[in-house]
Amino acid sequence: MKGEMAEGKVKEVTLPVAGMSCAACVNKVEKALEGLPGVGAARVNLAAGSAGVEYDPGRVGYDQMEKAIRDVGYEVPWDRIELLVLGMMGTHCQSIIEKAVGEMPGVVHVRVNLGTDSVAVEYAGAVLSAAQIRKTIRELGYEVSDKAEGEASLDRERQARQQEIRRQLVNLLIAAPLGLLVMAGTFRDYWVLHTFIPGFLGNKYVLWALATPVVLGPGRQFFVNSFNGLRRGVTDMNLLYATGIGAAYFIAVINTFWPNAGFGGEKATFYESAALLTTFIVLGRYLEAVTRGRTSEAIRKLMKLQPKRARILRDGQEMEIPADEVQADDILVVRPGESIPVDGVVSEGYSAMDESMITGESLPVEKRAGDEVIGGTINKTGAFRFRATRVGKETALAQIIKLVENAQATKAPIQRLSDTVASHFILGVHVLALGVFLFWFFGGFNWWFDPNSHFILSPTELSGLKVFGFSLLLSVTVLVISCPCAVGLATPSAIMAGSGLGAQNGILFKGADAMEATAKLQTVIFDKTGTLTKGEPSVTEVVSLDRREDDVLRLAAIAEKNSEHPLGEAIVRAARERGLAVPDAEEFAAIPGHGVEARHNGSLILLGNRRLMTQRQVALGPLLAEAERLEQDGKTAMFVAADDQAIGVVAVADTLKDSSARAVQELHRLGLEVAMITGDNRRTAQAIARQAGIDRVLAEVLPQDKAAEVRKLQEQGRRVAMVGDGINDAPALAQADVGLAIGSGTDVAKETGHVILVKDDLLDVVGAIQIARFTMGKVKQNLAWAFGYNTAAIPLGAGILYPFFAQVVSPELAAFLMAISSLSVTLNAMSMRGFRPPIRRGGRPAAGRPPVRAETAPREAKGIGQRLEEVH
Amino acid sequence: MHGQRSTYVSALIYTAASLLGASAFLAATTLRGDYDWVARLGGAGWVFSLMMIILMPTVTPWVKKRLGGRQG
Repeated sequence: MKGEMAEGKVKEVTLPVAGMSCAACVNKVEKALEGLPGVGAARVNLAAGSAGVEYDPGRVGYDQMEKAIRDVGYEVPWDRIELLVLGMMGTHCQSIIEKAVGEMPGVVHVRVNLGTDSVAVEYAGAVLSAAQIRKTIRELGYEVSDKAEGEASLDRERQARQQEIRRQLVNLLIAAPLGLLVMAGTFRDYWVLHTFIPGFLGNKYVLWALATPVVLGPGRQFFVNSFNGLRRGVTDMNLLYATGIGAAYFIAVINTFWPNAGFGGEKATFYESAALLTTFIVLGRYLEAVTRGRTSEAIRKLMKLQPKRARILRDGQEMEIPADEVQADDILVVRPGESIPVDGVVSEGYSAMDESMITGESLPVEKRAGDEVIGGTINKTGAFRFRATRVGKETALAQIIKLVENAQATKAPIQRLSDTVASHFILGVHVLALGVFLFWFFGGFNWWFDPNSHFILSPTELSGLKVFGFSLLLSVTVLVISCPCAVGLATPSAIMAGSGLGAQNGILFKGADAMEATAKLQTVIFDKTGTLTKGEPSVTEVVSLDRREDDVLRLAAIAEKNSEHPLGEAIVRAARERGLAVPDAEEFAAIPGHGVEARHNGSLILLGNRRLMTQRQVALGPLLAEAERLEQDGKTAMFVAADDQAIGVVAVADTLKDSSARAVQELHRLGLEVAMITGDNRRTAQAIARQAGIDRVLAEVLPQDKAAEVRKLQEQGRRVAMVGDGINDAPALAQADVGLAIGSGTDVAKETGHVILVKDDLLDVVGAIQIARFTMGKVKQNLAWAFGYNTAAIPLGAGILYPFFAQVVSPELAAFLMAISSLSVTLNAMSMRGFRPPIRRGGRPAAGRPPVRAETAPREAKGIGQRLEEVH
Repeated sequence: MHGQRSTYVSALIYTAASLLGASAFLAATTLRGDYDWVARLGGAGWVFSLMMIILMPTVTPWVKKRLGGRQG
């Protein structure tokens, strides 16, 4: 069906899918969706419980997609909203609402109940919002209010999981007691058990009566789902369970009603196998349902940040409305301790905000009129008013949630491999089960069968079995023990937890592939200006011949006070920071390319480069050597003269951000090479690189050539990350294996780059790598465990120990081992909760700095220092 | 129509192949002569079931692809 869709008509939708438990489920749902006419591609994410579908809306609808998913045994928990609609007068109103809402893109079902004045709508939350539905009904002339409280999507997700938990719990409550009774009855004759287990429990008809409800009740789901899958040409774990349970039950029934049929006779009823097998599989499903949802804790925490209500100012009156009904330009009122409902700009008042939940910044951030506030953050101290700028799906929080959800819905390359293995594995297991059956039937039984042999950890003797019963038993055990559930869960459960961890620290991975690539990085390239450095010049040093640095700076500031040049602003700012008075000069003149001259208290002040001083015949003396030293460090040196006497030098440079040097050191500790790319001249670039401890300098690179420089490093076989501004450095970010857009603030949707760092803090680059490595470490642990389990378990199930120890694994022990394997993988992913990247725990700074190696791009470019010097 | 045809064709192929496998098993056990009828019939049934399970999901997409390719 792929490729049948007309171009331009293709749409994408993310459907929620509940009830999937393994990689084969992924394959099954994908195939079911891709089998529909009009569906191009379907990508299912197991951990996120969602399916991204490309489809032609003219040929296929949500109903058909939902049916295809339900047909293969899964649920589609749509977003649901129930509204109280007042003003409906009869069936005409009912049909108007049903038609208007039903035609909205993303709406799946509309049900109008005139008796209760309610409208229930099921819709795809990824396509439209509840507010849009309310607005449509309101525009038809009805009064609309929420019948249920908000947080619909959170509730829906929780409800779906709780339904699954409840369903499996009910199954478990039926299967476990009955299974235990069957086991007690089967083993009644062993040891002292007959003294307290009533005799009737050992009766084969009682055992049949007890085991049958387990197989046909809780076990029914496996038969139905595997049959639906087979009908559509797909196999899944259910098939393994169904064949395992079915075969054990079938042998037991034959031995009960036709004991002389040769299946082992009355002593080999195997009801306990069928019942306990079902119980353990259901137990595994139940535990998975309970624990799996917890790996997505982070996203739920983000969702919970959004307050339900907002206090807005209308006609001078404060009133409370649902937060999702706030419109842009509304004025909102926030009191201490309250959460901010939407994004906006402070219009009145002052406060400190806790933004840690969005940016990862642990210290409160001060806000005053004109500052931006982010929805979901908490107002700590004062009351203030703000104007809403971004509402609904446009808010930073909504964008972040969307980004994290999308990331969780993607597949890392390592996962594609394990999914492929897992999906082919099931067929492979059936082939193996056939091979095991034929081997034991035609050879193994005759060579090694011992009537006194036992199941491992069980007193049951195999004496009643003949060649068919024994071969079938081992074949069934292989089917049950080989279940690759753990393989399927290994990657998505860890990726899900890892991307959530990132979001909690203000680090947004755009996909699982970005996470995997970040973990494998070898070189990190930083853009210099604005990324490593502050991006604006500041005074770094003042030299005075007679130790009167403040006077030198003050005179320089007076001369530059009226200048609008960045250098002048930096000098005036530095003087003010030192508490120096900076009065206006009586006269001021800029001398293009040289500097400035000004008159103050009758003195003539000159501030500028060598050429200015030479032109005015000012003797520089020892200051010349000082200026050369400063220039060697990549700084712009400006001479200060008063009444034709040189009195000092002011050095100005673009300085490193506070965290730059530490970030570079930490990256070295992680074993990464650190490079810097800049348009500046080599001297300036080297000076900055020396201060930051950078290994490699790519200087004099024009902005448009940065991507080519990244490519050159990649061609040397290095896996390269580029850290820069998400807008100006977009081509280089896109070229890199991982582009990290830094300091993007809260408009994350507009950013290019594979990883978005919300805060302007280079330590987050280290944090991103630490989180990615930690996550991929967990993925590898999970995969090693899952594959290791299957590698070890299959030969055991196939009876490899039997020729030596005369013991075989029973089907119920196989089911127990399989359940433990899946559970351990999920628990390992859950253990990631609470991880903080070491850099955010105050890690130890690295000792020593590697030498600087400078490389100059063969192009003409001018650095910031050079440019400043020329202008002045 | 095309979907139905591919379903029938694939069902015919995997059922026939599975029956063939089960018959081969039955023939082999009969020729060896030392298996009772339960083992022979039960074994043939199990071989048939496993072969159906193996062949259904492999033959169905293969046939769909082949028939789809010819038509389009």
